[in-house]
Amino acid sequence: MPTITIDPVTRIEGHAKITLQLDEQGEVQDARFHVTQVRGFEKLCEGRPFTEMPALMARICGICPTSHLLASSKACDDIMAVRIPETAEKLRRIMNLAQIIQSHALSFFYLSSPDFLLGMDADPEERNIMGLVRKHPQMARDGIQLRQFGQRVLETLGGKRIHPGWIVPGGVSHPLQAEQRDQILAMIPEATRITRNALSWFKGQIENFRTEIRSFANFPSMFLAMANDANQFSAYTGWLRFINSNLEIVADHITGADYLNYIGESCNEDSYLKSTYFKPLGLKQGVYRVGPLARLNMCRTAGTPMADEELAEFRELERRSVWSSFYYHYARLIEILFSIERMNTLLNDPEILGKNVRAHASPNKYEGVGILEAPRGTLIHHYHIDENGLIKSANMVIASGHNNEAMNHGVLQVARQFVKGKTLHQGMLNRVEAVIRCFDPCLSCSTHAAGMMPLDIQLIAPDGEVIDRLVR
Amino acid sequence: MPRVLLIGYGNTLCGDDALGPVAIERLSKMVADAEFIACHQLSPELAERVAICDLAVFVDATCQGEPGTVRVEQLVPVAVVGSAIFTHYVNPSTVLELAKTLYGRAPQAMLVTGAGAKFHNSEGLSEKGREALDEICRIVPQLVRDFVLTT
Repeated sequence: MPTITIDPVTRIEGHAKITLQLDEQGEVQDARFHVTQVRGFEKLCEGRPFTEMPALMARICGICPTSHLLASSKACDDIMAVRIPETAEKLRRIMNLAQIIQSHALSFFYLSSPDFLLGMDADPEERNIMGLVRKHPQMARDGIQLRQFGQRVLETLGGKRIHPGWIVPGGVSHPLQAEQRDQILAMIPEATRITRNALSWFKGQIENFRTEIRSFANFPSMFLAMANDANQFSAYTGWLRFINSNLEIVADHITGADYLNYIGESCNEDSYLKSTYFKPLGLKQGVYRVGPLARLNMCRTAGTPMADEELAEFRELERRSVWSSFYYHYARLIEILFSIERMNTLLNDPEILGKNVRAHASPNKYEGVGILEAPRGTLIHHYHIDENGLIKSANMVIASGHNNEAMNHGVLQVARQFVKGKTLHQGMLNRVEAVIRCFDPCLSCSTHAAGMMPLDIQLIAPDGEVIDRLVR
Repeated sequence: MPRVLLIGYGNTLCGDDALGPVAIERLSKMVADAEFIACHQLSPELAERVAICDLAVFVDATCQGEPGTVRVEQLVPVAVVGSAIFTHYVNPSTVLELAKTLYGRAPQAMLVTGAGAKFHNSEGLSEKGREALDEICRIVPQLVRDFVLTT
């Protein structure tokens, strides 16, 4: 069967390829997103002391180490059966918000805005961050500054911007100082200005992307995110909730103790990325999405004034839940705004300078689960230990796994819309990649990228003849 | 007094790839009146800090050349398309181009590369890596002194 391969997929975090299978009539019959790198962290941590897990797990990724650090620390808190001090929880929340800001800024400004600003059909030599710098320098400066803000918060609290070690089982290693708090607070007005400008600009662009909105993974699915009693945006505490495409609750109050009753994982022969699904419905019917779009569909209010205004406008897009994955970009900007506002509130809480920031305990359970909302979606760390506190087994369910089947659906939908005929052009292929960028999958990019492969796409006729080829 | 920025980058968990960050740690005790950055990889956020210095020295490891040897090259601002396409990772010339385009100024800049012998998952430098480190720490202070004397 003829196949088109897009390898590697560019402007995502990690290495992956897309294959498009054509039928005899040249129509796209199936599409798959393949992750071609293996990391193996679940196996290599076996036998390590559980207290090492946060630092070890943070090495999974150079973009979202803080998310793994937090989820891992929460799993260790569970093993120790401690409730961490309130100040420590607030400080961890700030770290999580800073992580969301820097990661979303990277996704929106560095990876995706070249598509919005330079056009989906622009030459890929231009349609990248350097093209953005040349044609829209203020947008580029803003993107750099916003990401820098998130990174500086991480660096101020954690000691360094990548792989900070400040978050530990039981809380954080040391309290926040007043001058550190003031440094962060001083940066908030500018970060707010940049985010509001970006939101205003993006909303003005939406009309230009109607075709993409219609076809970029625009389908009914369930959504998974953390929830709480107030139905407010929640990224650190709460339980898990599934809703359907009409915003009705499908499963609620799911905790670390019973998530395996609802979330199944399936291995794929052609990819190192597992497919995660809603267990009661099985792999084919149990497709759901996580991340910014899911979180905004899930919550009734954000809980901060400016983000709530934006959320109200976002909700006007649809009467039901918002289905088009193109709106992940929009949701990311709203989440940045929320994160800045919430961080401001937390930093202005007098308790934030409290000195009691760590609970100490030995293991009190043989099992622990940590759940939080990472920038890309729900992240679960689940550990079993032996009587010596050594890891017997570890399971990590990551956002890109939750979204895997939805990404496959999205690639198929967009390929059917844009890949037609016997001649390939960059615009159609970029749209196939761009639908993946909506989800911002993170495939672990912490290792050095040696020997980048060029993009090589071949259109092969049923008789095996290469009828078109694009290389970049 | 000219502003000097020394940036070492590399993965400290990949053997001799740690040359850049390790060199910066040692150089920070040898070179006065300079700013030091040790990082995993170069990113666009560095452009702003580069734009406000007069001399930027990038220190990196390489798997090319005779292990233990060191090479110095002058850099000019130029965007390298490959690195620009691949997201958040950029090379030194692209950092200079970003500094020039976004912040109006690119400093004089040099890339100092030390050839390593092993780059697999491990901590600590090889013998050849340590030779390159010694040479880098001999050359870079001299480069800085020469620059300060001529400006």
